[in-house]
Amino acid sequence: MDAENKQIYGVLAEFRNPKELVDAASSVKKSGYQDFDTYAPFPIHGMEKAMGLKKSPLGWIVLGGALTGMIGALALMIWVMGYEYPMNISGKPFINFPVYIPITFELTVLLAAFATTFGMLALNKLPRLHNPLFNVERFSKASDDGFFVHIEASDDLFAEEKVKKLFQDNGATHIETVYDSE
Amino acid sequence: MSKPKITDTLDFPSDLNITKSLFGVGTVGLLATGVGYFLDHDQFFFSYLVSFSFFSSIALGSLFFVMVQHLTRSEWSAVLRRIPETFSSYFWIWGLFIIPLLFGMHSLYHWTHADAVAADPVLQGKEPYLNTTFFIIRQVIYFALWSFLGYRLYSKSVEMDETGDWGLQTLLRRTSGPGLFFFAITLAFASFDWIMSLDPHWYSTIFGVYYFAMSFQGLFAVLILVIFFLWNNNLLTNTIQKSHIYDLGVQMFGFTVFYAYIAFSQFLLIYYANIPEETVWYLERLSGGYEYLAWFYLFGRFVIPFVILLPKGPKSKPKVVGSVAVLILVSHLVELYWLVMPVLNHHGFHLNWMTITSFIGLGGIFLGLFFYKFKQNKMVPINDPKLGDSLNKH
Repeated sequence: MDAENKQIYGVLAEFRNPKELVDAASSVKKSGYQDFDTYAPFPIHGMEKAMGLKKSPLGWIVLGGALTGMIGALALMIWVMGYEYPMNISGKPFINFPVYIPITFELTVLLAAFATTFGMLALNKLPRLHNPLFNVERFSKASDDGFFVHIEASDDLFAEEKVKKLFQDNGATHIETVYDSE
Repeated sequence: MSKPKITDTLDFPSDLNITKSLFGVGTVGLLATGVGYFLDHDQFFFSYLVSFSFFSSIALGSLFFVMVQHLTRSEWSAVLRRIPETFSSYFWIWGLFIIPLLFGMHSLYHWTHADAVAADPVLQGKEPYLNTTFFIIRQVIYFALWSFLGYRLYSKSVEMDETGDWGLQTLLRRTSGPGLFFFAITLAFASFDWIMSLDPHWYSTIFGVYYFAMSFQGLFAVLILVIFFLWNNNLLTNTIQKSHIYDLGVQMFGFTVFYAYIAFSQFLLIYYANIPEETVWYLERLSGGYEYLAWFYLFGRFVIPFVILLPKGPKSKPKVVGSVAVLILVSHLVELYWLVMPVLNHHGFHLNWMTITSFIGLGGIFLGLFFYKFKQNKMVPINDPKLGDSLNKH
């Protein structure tokens, strides 16, 4: 493979252990980089803070789904049962909230669950068929015993040599430039 | 495994003389209510029943909580398990407080009136179950069983404090398994006896679960408030941590939803089927001023706690969790009042002072007994092998 013809995707660095990874992540954050991510075989306590991650907006997406379900269910039932096709069911009122509650509840939960699942996938930019990081052979260690930081070339501050130096200063055991496949 | 490090003092301070004042308040409250007996004895028994079922529900919720913690080998709850253990340890004393109700059966329960039964084929059909002798026998069985379970779970746990014998955990689990089974049956029948049989024509098969759901939701509120009381007196501040309050808040939230689910299930089926002898029970309770109580507890123990406790943040804020706990307990009392009182005052809502004095009286005794037992032993099961993980939880 000819490295000259490829576009740089970013720089990947490996660290020895979770603690060094957290330290590296916080120093990457302090240096002002935005487009970076960390990879480890297991969740690491304190990583969100080190990376300066904001609270996930997923909760608001779920709330949106839940409210859509609730209002949708109520609107449908009030419209159908109250106006469009009113039926006398054992003398109860046409618009009858106690009876609407189960369906409202079900639809609220259903759309909230859809919003959770699909919102989570969208926020993780999934499904994604290929990630240039997979071009790096070592990267498969991320699901075994490797602790990686990757700074993307799309970052405004990105300069290959500067990034490599930053990783070196933080004690990376292995640094590698990642290229796009094409 | 190294011994868990506890920095707090584990003995309830002897200078905190809360037991005496609680017993004092309780005695005064009960005496005042006792005076009420001579003024209006029907009212006396109904008020007493409301308060009695309120505090019994807390002890019953505690018993269930302790058994579940043992069966699931829960680590998180080890630091605070002594509190519910203590609440359920004195059923054998608390059981004595049902005796006034046995003398008031004629006032409380329509089915004890021989002439009414003679004229009513439905009550005749229920007579093999709903009769005075069997009622009293059942109460003895309930309290004997609960006393046995509560006292055993408490005393074996205390024994582990002293001997450090981890084998006792197996014993506690073996008690909890069958205990849970018999608990479920007796709790259901106790709720049928105490509250449901006030309207002997009406029945709801979910009623036992309904009373349980109310009790268990209320229990978490009580646990949270007891912990805040201890914290206010600088007790266990480093042992029971904010993360435990968060967990209790999560469970309180969960059982708020469970309660609402059960209470609404009972309502919806009766509402939907629209069978007169069933709906009349709700009709009495949703008119004459009682509908305001229903709205109060609908918001007080479901809507408001649900909305407040839904996000993650508020569940770890003591002030928020504490306020919600108070609201839930007030609603719990209001709901029990709403269940019981329409039988007496079926013409309309009318609050009698005896309801308040009997609540203060039985509350003083119930909490006095709690602190009396609580200070006899360590406030934390110190030799529980799960304690270390409970202390270090995040």
